[in-house]
Amino acid sequence: MRPLPANFIIGAVLVLLVVGVAALSLVWTPHDPTTLNIRGKFGEPTPLNWLGTDQLGRDIVSQLMAAARNSMTVALVAVLLGGSIGVALGLLASAIGGWVEDIVMRLADLGFAFPALLFAIMLAAVFGPSLTNAVLAIAFINIPIFARVARASANQIWTREYVLAARAAGMNKLAITWDHILPNIAAVVIVQATIEFAVAILAEAALSYLGLGAQPPASSWGRMLSEAQTLMYLAPDLAIYPGLCIVIAVLGFGLLGDGLRDITDPRLARAR
Amino acid sequence: MFEMQNMTVRFSIGEALRGVSLRIAPGDRLGIVGESGSGKSMLAACLMGMVPDAATIDGTLTIDGTNMTHASEAKWQTIRARRAAMIFQEPMSALNPLRRVGDTVAEPIYVHMGLNKAQARDRVLGLFEEVGIPDPASRFRMFPHELSGGQRQRVLIALALACDPQLLIADEPTTALDANIALKITDLLVHLSQSRNMALVFISHDLSAVARATTDITVMYGGDFVERGVTAEVLSNPMHPYTQGLLAARPSPRAVSRDANGSRRRLPTIPGTVPPLHKMARGCRFAGRCALERGECASVRPLPFGPRRITCHAVSEEMT
Repeated sequence: MRPLPANFIIGAVLVLLVVGVAALSLVWTPHDPTTLNIRGKFGEPTPLNWLGTDQLGRDIVSQLMAAARNSMTVALVAVLLGGSIGVALGLLASAIGGWVEDIVMRLADLGFAFPALLFAIMLAAVFGPSLTNAVLAIAFINIPIFARVARASANQIWTREYVLAARAAGMNKLAITWDHILPNIAAVVIVQATIEFAVAILAEAALSYLGLGAQPPASSWGRMLSEAQTLMYLAPDLAIYPGLCIVIAVLGFGLLGDGLRDITDPRLARAR
Repeated sequence: MFEMQNMTVRFSIGEALRGVSLRIAPGDRLGIVGESGSGKSMLAACLMGMVPDAATIDGTLTIDGTNMTHASEAKWQTIRARRAAMIFQEPMSALNPLRRVGDTVAEPIYVHMGLNKAQARDRVLGLFEEVGIPDPASRFRMFPHELSGGQRQRVLIALALACDPQLLIADEPTTALDANIALKITDLLVHLSQSRNMALVFISHDLSAVARATTDITVMYGGDFVERGVTAEVLSNPMHPYTQGLLAARPSPRAVSRDANGSRRRLPTIPGTVPPLHKMARGCRFAGRCALERGECASVRPLPFGPRRITCHAVSEEMT
């Protein structure tokens, strides 16, 4: 077997770290991330508070862990939701073709015409700031991306001889799509989903930073950043920790996605 | 009973089929031969209702008395698998690499016969046995890459037989197989046609396979039927210049032997290549490559003549 590419290994380690911490926060955090302790604000790192406390005396490690969980949940729901709708639309466009395909793809182009993050900010601003709306906004910007990827790959599969054989065996387009097209585009879609996961984490952080995502007292890396901003000179570490978390998570999923693509794309495999 | 009357398939660049007529009854074994681009596969697509959307169709196709010429996709789905089924040239690419071959064969059985999972499985195992796949139960769970080329082609034949079709179209079923396996697959198709009283349309450019598999033969060139008849007679006494050229170009031990002067004989070929559709002659499609060509050939279309329904000005004149 060919050795795994380095970007895949590094990405997988970072992702496991972030997901592991997020999963751990479900059952255990060092402290309750929302308990205030005004007397202990701006605390130095101690054996009790590993990274110290923030301006309201909350434990930073606990907040970062809870934020990881929120961030993963938002990204997961948003990518699953946007991805399913997008893939379904892409498959539909590919199966029916003609004017249906034209309409779906021109709508997707419309989606691409807006900068994704700006579009999410606009949606969240219009429908009011809340975590649910942030999820919906991020899901929405994922729809055209997945629709385009799914349609492009599906169009290739439709020309395969086994699809012809299935048609010759009297299968209708829905059955062929489900049995033959979807399994054969799964690899491409999974790679795309991993990359979009990184984008979704970034989008959630950005929305929360602008106050359009997670609302207090829910923890979020983006919100921690925006709160730390005014205290930059007083306590720069408050901004560094959540920033570092965002970098690790986004880099991890980005590298994992690239690595998966290298593994699943035979053209790149040969070049390696 | 499949009946095609004056069938024409027209693309924007030209005609892929030019008014061909055909009748296929249960148990018939018909060979279709011709070069690539002669319209063999388009004929098969017509019989399966799988002509590309870009083409326009003229003429009539009736299946058991029902006019299917411009039938909807939904209507064709009731014909495919149950009336007409098809197997393909390249057995590897005609099987989904991600599905177990048993599931692939079971699929049309669920859809068209309404059987439950266990019944469908039993039926697939029976079909595997019928097409000569050893140890069907373990083959059922295998993926295409785990089978040999011959086994894959047998799986595809089982898939085609899944719903007991009246007509099996084999589009170059032996081209991708080695000679020994090709022979076995050819014999299997003949056997199935006889035991099931199923019509077989055997498309190939392997003349020996066609000779072995079929009782009747149709030679195609440029979307026309140029010569038809009993397989043995046509192959032993070809009359159309194209059929003669096709047979002469067949490699044989003699073809690589040496002539009187001791120099190697070259394999005879038909001069030129099949022109693209839009450059075909308006008259006889073979004009430009034919040794017997005369003035009228390129512009006047020859009419089918004689018992073999030969389309050639020179041959018809000679016979009258």
